Amino acid sequence: MNPFNRRAFIKAAIAAAPASAFLTLPNNAHAGRKASVVVVGGGFGGATAAKYLKKMDPALDVTLVERLKTYTSCPLSNEILTGHGKIEDLQTGYDGLAKRGVKVMFDDAIGIDAAAKTVKLNSGTTLKYDALVLSPGIDFNYGAVEGYSEQLANTSHPHAWKAGPQTLALKKQIEAIPDGGVFVLSVPPKPFRCPPGPYERASLVASYFKHHGKHKSKVLILDANDSFSKKGLFEQAWKMHYNGMIQWVPGAEGGKVTKMDAQTNTAFTDFGEYKADVLNIIPPHHAGAIAKNAGLANAQGWCEVDMLTMESAVQKDIWVIGDACIHGDLPVYDAPKSAHIANTQAKVAAGAIIAKLNGVPAPEPFFVNTCYSTVADDWGFSVVHIYRVEGGKLVYIKEAGGISPVNMADEAQLKLQRKLESRYVVGWFKNIMADAFA
Amino acid sequence: MKQRNLMAAIGLIAACAMQASVTHAADAKTENLANTCNACHGMNGVSVGPNMPSIGGLSETYLNAVMQQWKNGERYSATMGRHFKGYSDQELDAIAKYFSKLPWVPVVQAAEAKTLAQGKEASERCETCHGATGSEPDDADTPRINGQWAEYMHLEMLKYRTDTVKMPHRKMRGNTKKLDESDLLPVAQHYAAQPK
Repeated sequence: MNPFNRRAFIKAAIAAAPASAFLTLPNNAHAGRKASVVVVGGGFGGATAAKYLKKMDPALDVTLVERLKTYTSCPLSNEILTGHGKIEDLQTGYDGLAKRGVKVMFDDAIGIDAAAKTVKLNSGTTLKYDALVLSPGIDFNYGAVEGYSEQLANTSHPHAWKAGPQTLALKKQIEAIPDGGVFVLSVPPKPFRCPPGPYERASLVASYFKHHGKHKSKVLILDANDSFSKKGLFEQAWKMHYNGMIQWVPGAEGGKVTKMDAQTNTAFTDFGEYKADVLNIIPPHHAGAIAKNAGLANAQGWCEVDMLTMESAVQKDIWVIGDACIHGDLPVYDAPKSAHIANTQAKVAAGAIIAKLNGVPAPEPFFVNTCYSTVADDWGFSVVHIYRVEGGKLVYIKEAGGISPVNMADEAQLKLQRKLESRYVVGWFKNIMADAFA
Repeated sequence: MKQRNLMAAIGLIAACAMQASVTHAADAKTENLANTCNACHGMNGVSVGPNMPSIGGLSETYLNAVMQQWKNGERYSATMGRHFKGYSDQELDAIAKYFSKLPWVPVVQAAEAKTLAQGKEASERCETCHGATGSEPDDADTPRINGQWAEYMHLEMLKYRTDTVKMPHRKMRGNTKKLDESDLLPVAQHYAAQPK
């Protein structure tokens, strides 16, 4: 056989094999050893990627690098803030992935050498990769709000935009607000993690006030933006459940917080100052430091990727998924920074990586987001995003997706719709946690 | 002669490669598509609960019908309709085939004996179509429900009992409405408790 035919034959053999029985690395570059994939970051994106890489090709050598032994989910953490459930219910370890053959290393990835294809860890270890998945989540730009700092976030002024100890610290503050006290929530400019999250938090804090005899207390949302995710649904719910308790100040009316005073608990915008009983600043954020330091982020701080495969637009053999990337049908229909989209990005990346390692084209990708918000008892709603390839380009499908209906034929229907989605949050959560970590 | 055989062999290999590539691409596409379902419906279509239904091992006819009805607005859903409007009929066929080929894995849910007895007694009118334990549907259009999630089934019955939402099955609507409200959850729990 001449080389051409031999290659065709190998390709055919690979193509004929089911996806779960991929031959690993027929090409000479990797001859004689298993291909190594390193995944940095064990959140919804990274955990899902590690699991599906192993599921799709058990012969792969997959290493997951994660700082913490216990993961705390951000989804549903607003519920914890306001006394619904325990934080332990949102937590998981990495035993499930280890059982699937993923090598889990509790360490901190501190540097990437893209030319040598290595990742350096804090412990001193250097990992060599054939493919690298970065799912580092976000880091905060504290400097964007004068007077705020990481130190304040870890002590008197938790942002709780990463679930964990700060969630519990903010919970205590909310519980201590006197009747008539004000909870001020500052929302950073888009894009940010969990687009409906701030408004869900506002709703649940109001719910807490309502159910704990703090009827005169208020929630003030100071927003750098002029609109927000599921706005019609939130505003309807606020009127029905928390009439007069929640006030939203958009950016155009001076909502953007530029400065805070920790001593007096005051937020400052270009239009005025707002004194709070609890001041909850969500600082602007950007792709996790490891991705930014590796030069993978754009001027806005997010990592651009090939829309169809999630491979970095800047550096080949590195795939960036989850909150750190900027993805979707840009510029209008960007993919939300949600657990669910990270989960589907991870699966697409896993398929694309295995295809590339085997020298075959990446399979057609599908990206989905389903994001539920609960705002009152039996009152939940969602937004759905469907992205798929049309004419070689990733597009947001306008005929599908969108938010739950705001108005329905009658009250019975509306109540049923909101009740169903308030329950589905729980089923979604349990399944996506298992899909990523178990 | 020898040369000709070699040419034929090369031709055959090339044809196989092409055919296999097409098959592979289709399989990989279906796998990518089906993987998106796992986030809510569990690995291999086995949900870990409590209100997301398991879908692995349901009949192809049922899965296809439900997805088509959602896509075409013939069946009410809180969330799923917004998903299926984004996929072609061929893709829905592929999803239905994929999950119907997986085994049905009942998730047996315990409940108090009293509740189960109440549910069993009230479930008489469900039996005709779903079978005594919910594992023997009378036609391919009817889902099996043994070891399905109780809360999911309860919420589905609430859909059928709400007059103004569009649901396709008159018999199901009639029968769920005949049930006493206090029997709805026990009936669901009765089927959820059945291993086979």
